[in-house]
Amino acid sequence: MALPAMRPLGCLWSLMRAYEPLPMINRRFISTAYSKRPEKLPLPQDMPPQFLSQIPLRFRPDPDRQPLKIYPAPPSARKACKDPIGAVTESQLAVLDPKGERKAMFDYRRNPRSVKPGDIVRVTFKNGDPFNGVVLSIKLRGIETSFLLRNELTRVAVEMSVKVFSPNVNSVEIVQRSEKKRRRARLYFMRDRKHDRRSVENIVANYVRQKKAFLGGGNRRR
Amino acid sequence: MIQLKTLLSCIDNSGASIVECVNVLKKKRPATIGQSPIQSPPLRGRTRINQMLCAGDRIVVVVQKQRSAGSEATTAAALANKVRRGDIRHAVVVRVKKELQRPDGSLVRFGDNACVLVNKSGDPIGTRMNGVVGQELRNKKWSKILSLAPVHV
Repeated sequence: MALPAMRPLGCLWSLMRAYEPLPMINRRFISTAYSKRPEKLPLPQDMPPQFLSQIPLRFRPDPDRQPLKIYPAPPSARKACKDPIGAVTESQLAVLDPKGERKAMFDYRRNPRSVKPGDIVRVTFKNGDPFNGVVLSIKLRGIETSFLLRNELTRVAVEMSVKVFSPNVNSVEIVQRSEKKRRRARLYFMRDRKHDRRSVENIVANYVRQKKAFLGGGNRRR
Repeated sequence: MIQLKTLLSCIDNSGASIVECVNVLKKKRPATIGQSPIQSPPLRGRTRINQMLCAGDRIVVVVQKQRSAGSEATTAAALANKVRRGDIRHAVVVRVKKELQRPDGSLVRFGDNACVLVNKSGDPIGTRMNGVVGQELRNKKWSKILSLAPVHV
């Protein structure tokens, strides 16, 4: 019941509403003590069975329910073999390169007599056909060590990457050392026209002729 | 990696010097010299993947440039040309610039992309070839091309 005379006072309430304190929901103060979640209480042992129907279905004791079986973790393969790739490399090297000759021949970081980038090399394969070329790079990768050869055959550049420990490789011969000291390990700039060595067939043919004269046609294996 | 619009040099004496690939036959991926088929057990419920990989190195090309292409179209050399500019022919890829892995792990890369023109039955149109070709052709029954080629790598 609002009298017409009290109408102007009625708007005062609406003004006051803005200053009302917020409702006390989700309010937590520093003084609020943290309480642990209450633990689940087991059902009383001597509960009469007629009360069971009052308990929600998921809390009722189930005689058929069995605890989950926990299996032990399988034995760790990592513990059995610490360095599997190293082990495979070693076992393969023992088969493919028992004397370590090939490894020494391409270990250009340690062996000063090894093949080096920039050398001209002649590779003979098992099926008999050779491939000659300048060594552009040697990739030392354990059993997958390979070297990249570049040559020009019938005025077409041909590059071939050969695996050092491949059983298909019969022999690798150094035909000519690079004439100047190479400061780089990867001579990919030799693909440019300016630095291209072009064909090395003549040099290799010369070498083969000399070798035949020297050895009397024998085929020396390195 | 020969695909649509790739320009290849033609290394036989059929008369074409530069050709353009317009289609790769029997293959859903760019043509190459061709991998040798690697035998693997067939996957259950699928076709053999390796069959797709070793399917083909045959392409369809358009002759873009003729050998001895000049104003004198009536010279003997031009008459000897078996194909003309604008002809659509089949070809076999013999060199690719993209490196190719052999079954023994070695890689081969050529300086250019090249092909040899063949007719529909697979016989080379030219009678002579100049230039090195890939050895992969051996597995692919292109021995005719291999015997014509001066060098194979």
